[in-house]
Amino acid sequence: MFGYVRPSLGKLSEEDKARFGAAYCGLCRTLGERYGQAARMILNYDFTFLAILLWPEEVPAAVHRGCVAHPFSGRACYPGNPALELAADESVILSWWQIRDALADPGGGKGKYRAASLALKGAYGRAAERRPDFDRTTREKLEQLGELEAARCPSLDRPADAFAGLLAAAAEGVPDPVQRRVLEQMLYHLGRWIYLVDAADDLEKDFASGSYNPLIYRYGLAGGKLTEEAREGLTVSLDHSIRLMAAAYELWDFGVWSPVIRATVYEGLYLVGRAVLEGTFHAGDWGRPMAGRNKEQL
Amino acid sequence: MTDPYEVLNIPSTATDEEVKKAYRDLARKYHPDNYHDNPLADLAQEKMKEINAAYHAIQQERGNRGSGGGTAYAQQGYGGYQYQQRTAGNPAFQQVRMAINRNDLGMAEQLLDRMSDHNGEWNFLKGTICYRRGWVDEARRYYETACQMDPGNAEFRQALNFVENNQAGYRPEGYEVFSSGCGGGNLCGRLACTYLLCNLCGFGGLRFFWC
Repeated sequence: MFGYVRPSLGKLSEEDKARFGAAYCGLCRTLGERYGQAARMILNYDFTFLAILLWPEEVPAAVHRGCVAHPFSGRACYPGNPALELAADESVILSWWQIRDALADPGGGKGKYRAASLALKGAYGRAAERRPDFDRTTREKLEQLGELEAARCPSLDRPADAFAGLLAAAAEGVPDPVQRRVLEQMLYHLGRWIYLVDAADDLEKDFASGSYNPLIYRYGLAGGKLTEEAREGLTVSLDHSIRLMAAAYELWDFGVWSPVIRATVYEGLYLVGRAVLEGTFHAGDWGRPMAGRNKEQL
Repeated sequence: MTDPYEVLNIPSTATDEEVKKAYRDLARKYHPDNYHDNPLADLAQEKMKEINAAYHAIQQERGNRGSGGGTAYAQQGYGGYQYQQRTAGNPAFQQVRMAINRNDLGMAEQLLDRMSDHNGEWNFLKGTICYRRGWVDEARRYYETACQMDPGNAEFRQALNFVENNQAGYRPEGYEVFSSGCGGGNLCGRLACTYLLCNLCGFGGLRFFWC
C-alpha cells in the first residue's frame, strides 16, 4: 500500500537531496532503535514524507552514522526527533493493520505477510501503547474500509475517505491551529491519493484474485485494465487531490523542507501517478530517490 | 505592522518592477481560483489581504500611487459559492445553501436527504457538498446529473466545467503543468488548451486582476 510518495529529483539541489536522504536514514534508524532491526523492513518514502511534514522547527543537524545497508561508507542521518518518532510509531501501527488486512483477504500467497506479521507483533504492541489514539483511529477507519469492501462499494470517494481520514489523524496533536488545518488537509489528500493510486496499481492482481478494488465497481470493469473512461475519471481524482495538497502547502512555512515538498506536490506525485497508470511504475528503479535501498518494503 | 518587503519576500532595495513581479507571483499563488470551495479558503484570503496591504504600503512609500496597476484585487470569490437570494427559489434549498456557506456540510446533507424530489438543484447541491469534502468523483457525477436534468442552468454547467477543466492551477516558477493522465486519452490536449487560454489572457488565469 505504501511507497508511492516521491519528490521529483530533477527539481532538487544536491543539498536538498542529501537532506531528504538523511531524513529517510533517520527514520530507518529511529525504527531500529524503537522497534528492533526487523521493524526496519517497513521503511518507506511515504512515512519519511510524513516526518518531513511534521518536522519540528529546531532539530540537531544530520550526523554521519554507520549503516547496515552501507557498511563501508555509512550515511548522513538525522538523530531521532519527535517527528521521526511519530512517523516510526505510526508506520508500525499502519503496517501491522495492513498486514492483518492482507492476511484476512481471500487468496493465496500469504507467506510474506505471515512472516511480517510474526516479525512485527512485538513492535506493534509497543507502538499501540505509545500512540493509543492513533491505533484506535486506525482500527476504526480500517473497519469502515472493511465494511465498504465487503459491500463491494461502487464509490471511489467513500473507501478513499476512510483511508484519508486515517492519515489526517496523524496531525491531531499539532498545537498551532493553522498548521494543524494545513496538515490535516495535506494528509487527507495524501491518503486519498495513495489509496487511489494503489487501487490502480493493484487492479490487475485484484481482478484476477477476486479481491475488492473500487475501480472495478465504480467503472463496471470487465477486466483488469482501466477503460479510457475510467482512466480519465481517475486522473481527475488524482490530479484534484494533488492540487489540493499543493494549495494547502502554500499556506504554511515548511522551512528547509519547502523544496522537497514542492518537488513532491508539484511534480513527483504526478509522475508516480502517470507511471502507475501507464504500468511502468515497477519497471527498474524509476524515480527512486535512493534506488535499491527499499527492496524490503511491503 | 509587519515589514511589507518581508511579506513580499524581497529586499527593500528592490526595483519597482521587482516589487510588482513579487506581488503578482504571490497574488497568483493565493488567487481564489486555487481555493475554490476549499476548506482553507479563509487562510488564503488572509494571505491575500496581507499581500495587498504590503503592496499598497510600498506603493505609498514610493509615491507610486496610480502607477503599476494598483491593487485591483477583488476580495470576493474565495467561497466560490456566493448566492444571490432567489425570489422564486425553493426555500428548502435556500436553507441547504446557507448551511453550505456556513461550512456545516453535515446539516446540509441531512436537509437534502430528507427531500424526495431529486431534481437538478438537489443534485447540484449534493455535488457541492461532495466537492467541499474533496470527493471530486461523486461531485462530478452529481453535477453531470444536474446538467442533464436542467441543461440550461449556467450555475450547474459552470460547476461541472470547473471540475473537468480546472487543470491549470498555480505552479511555482520552473514547474510545468502536469497531469497524472498524460500518455493516453484526450486530457493532455484539453490541458494544453486550458493552459494556453489562460496564458493568452496574459497571466496564468489572472483575468480577475489584470485583464
